[in-house]
Amino acid sequence: MSNVIRFQFRKGPEVQFLSHLDVVRTMERAVRRAGLPMAYSEGFTPRPIMSYSYALSVGLLSEAEYGDFALTEELDPEEFVKIYNQHLPKGFEVLRAQRLPDHAPTLQAQINAASWRVSLPKVSADAIKERWQWLQEVDSFVVRRETKKGSRDVDVRHFLFSVGAIVQSPTGVVFDCLAGLGNEANLRMEELGQLLCFAHLEATITRMGQFKKVGNLYVPPLEDRG
Amino acid sequence: MDKRLVPLLPLVTKPARYTNHELNAQHKNWSEVAVKVALAFPDIYDVGMGHLGFKILYALINGRHDALAERVYAPWVDMQELMEEHGIPLTALESGSTLTKFDLVGFTLQHELSFTNILKMLDLAGIRRRSTERDEMLPLIMAGGPAAFNAEPVADFLDFVVLGEGEEVMHEILDVVKDGKAQGLTKDQLLTKLSRLEGIYVPKWYKPIYGVDGRFEALESQVPNAATQIQKRVVRDFNRLPYPEEFVVPYVEVVHDRVMGEIMRGCTRGCRFCQAGMIYRPVREREPQVLKEQIARLVESTGYEEISLSSLSSGDYGQIGPLVRDLIVHYQDCGISVSLPSLRLDSFGIELAQEIQKARKTGLTFAPEAGTQRLRNVINKNVSDDDLKDVVQSAFAAGWSRIKLYFMIGLPTETEEDLEGIVELAHKVLEWGKEFRSARRRPEVSISVASFVPKPHTPFQWMAQESMEILRSKQRFLQDRLRHPAIHFSYPRVEESFLEAVFARGDRRLAAVLERAVDLGCQFDSWTDSFRFDLWEQAFGDAGIDPQDYAGRTRDIGEALPWTHLSAGIDYDFLQREWELAQKGVPTPDCRWDECSRCGVCPSLRVANAIVKEKNVE
Repeated sequence: MSNVIRFQFRKGPEVQFLSHLDVVRTMERAVRRAGLPMAYSEGFTPRPIMSYSYALSVGLLSEAEYGDFALTEELDPEEFVKIYNQHLPKGFEVLRAQRLPDHAPTLQAQINAASWRVSLPKVSADAIKERWQWLQEVDSFVVRRETKKGSRDVDVRHFLFSVGAIVQSPTGVVFDCLAGLGNEANLRMEELGQLLCFAHLEATITRMGQFKKVGNLYVPPLEDRG
Repeated sequence: MDKRLVPLLPLVTKPARYTNHELNAQHKNWSEVAVKVALAFPDIYDVGMGHLGFKILYALINGRHDALAERVYAPWVDMQELMEEHGIPLTALESGSTLTKFDLVGFTLQHELSFTNILKMLDLAGIRRRSTERDEMLPLIMAGGPAAFNAEPVADFLDFVVLGEGEEVMHEILDVVKDGKAQGLTKDQLLTKLSRLEGIYVPKWYKPIYGVDGRFEALESQVPNAATQIQKRVVRDFNRLPYPEEFVVPYVEVVHDRVMGEIMRGCTRGCRFCQAGMIYRPVREREPQVLKEQIARLVESTGYEEISLSSLSSGDYGQIGPLVRDLIVHYQDCGISVSLPSLRLDSFGIELAQEIQKARKTGLTFAPEAGTQRLRNVINKNVSDDDLKDVVQSAFAAGWSRIKLYFMIGLPTETEEDLEGIVELAHKVLEWGKEFRSARRRPEVSISVASFVPKPHTPFQWMAQESMEILRSKQRFLQDRLRHPAIHFSYPRVEESFLEAVFARGDRRLAAVLERAVDLGCQFDSWTDSFRFDLWEQAFGDAGIDPQDYAGRTRDIGEALPWTHLSAGIDYDFLQREWELAQKGVPTPDCRWDECSRCGVCPSLRVANAIVKEKNVE
């Protein structure tokens, strides 16, 4: 086993509007406060050796963010969870951790899909259901995607894999969906809004899981222990 | 934070500015606390969070069981528009309470170009701008900070002004307000008690008198026993002062986002253009041992990756070398770096910088301020061409490839020769760098040229600022001569310096201009993209005020000045002597190491320079 600890953490409403860089900075500072035996990079400006799964956009919540920390010594994962949680600011919580085997693939190599929970006010379940039915019939849905290099057309239809039960609540509608994440089939939340015809800025969106999609199997980057 | 802002957050830039919940933020129970203070910074969160003064006051007030302090920043324009559209007033970060629920709202006056933001924040909070228009309800609007030494342009908006260092007087203010509230005192009764504290100025008790020629003549007190002069507060024992054990750690990137150790207050170098060098006297150094303990506590409570040592001129701290070395050795294994933001130009500074910046040797900044020795003598900037050569060569030798030089134009007695001097220096730096040139390194020089702004309480307080036309032509003169692939030339716009000059030496008539400017949409004037000089010109026109009379006119030595009742302890004879010596080009030495320059601070405030002795270093 290596001295790399992989952990899953929550990003709650208190820290919902932090950018990915803000999160990384916060994690680093909490590491220092906790006095964790972090491994630092070589060179002129040593940085703690840590890596994360794909960035979560500003404004989204998550139950399943992942991080890998390289430590200089063996640390019991349970102990890690306990100590680190004491030093993380409100809104962050480490849910579980495991030591990684030697030469384990990086987080980003082990993730290409995410599950999302979307909660929408002022929208009826039927509207979403109808839209999803229609989407399943079409083979292509092209959106204009703005990137740093300019904008281009992207067919995002098949980046949305599936939509689960669509539940009507007194305040709106809640549903889960599975979509592509990462460098290849990435679906942005504003594009999910376009696909299913809702205003994504009014939605509360939570990343519920991140996976490696292998056929119809979704494997999380941490082993499930029930 | 105010819950009503939540739906607006996805619609604005950097929403985490408004969301609170940062580590070490203090959430106190409002029902258990007698006095509530809002510390209001007249700029956005990203700028205000770096302000050490507010960190000190935040810790000091929240350290009391009977008081609380919360933070307020100016929302950026996108958020302001949404707040106005939805009828949401400005609120404090911690509790989300509107400013009208506080007993005291304290603004810091860091510079003149933030004045419009104060009015905008009062507007957003639903508080009447002028103190005389506000009713009996608290809060009292107070202000402090360097620009308080001429608070006259904003005096009509403030209930009281605090001069000088806040650590002691803040406690006294809290005590007075607490007792006053318990006794049910009126606002005026409260202000009467506050005005008995040293360092406190209640503007509405004074009325300016203007002569037939429109010039300021005198400030007439409107109540019996009003002090004719308000002396600044100064802390005598700097070592025993409490220092924050925690800083609020922001999530978004802000300026000065690191542990700050305050190594020293005051500077007696005596640069004649520098207001900070006059108003923060005397020099008081903090003992290295005390500093190390303060820094250690902050490192532990914040987890910051960087420690910076803060003062007006860190290289002048007597034990700076040993202190920096100790800190580097102590913290290097946990990935914490040390930085020194205000290092002076000498070869010792290079040695230190080399130890600090073992890493990226990108740029090193020096401030010769003027292009010739003659003009440097005029402004009392004690740096010679040989010093500069030494320091630049050792910087290149140590591995830096870009040197940044700061200059000013429009200094008193400046001639074309002095401008040529800047051009020559720029080329000389490249010449000195030649021998360090390699395939991978090409020495470069950046020249940054600001337009001089005469400030109150300095030897140059009487002189006219040069006209914008002349300053622009000087900028062009330099630009034409600094065209070179290895020279980068930059200069702020003269309009900003002009406006700064108007307000720096302004009087109460400018309040009408400020109000008009805010009504026209002026705010965030120190942000180049927001600065609207056309609107300012309109505001001056509408208010019937000629800004030239403030910025572009040399005052007679005997002329009454609108700020002389606000004293930093500096003797006016000293300023006058310095003004005369400046015109003769005679420098004045630093009283720390040389004879007393009789500036008057020590006798009038009953203080003295306090320098750390060598034996105190481990």
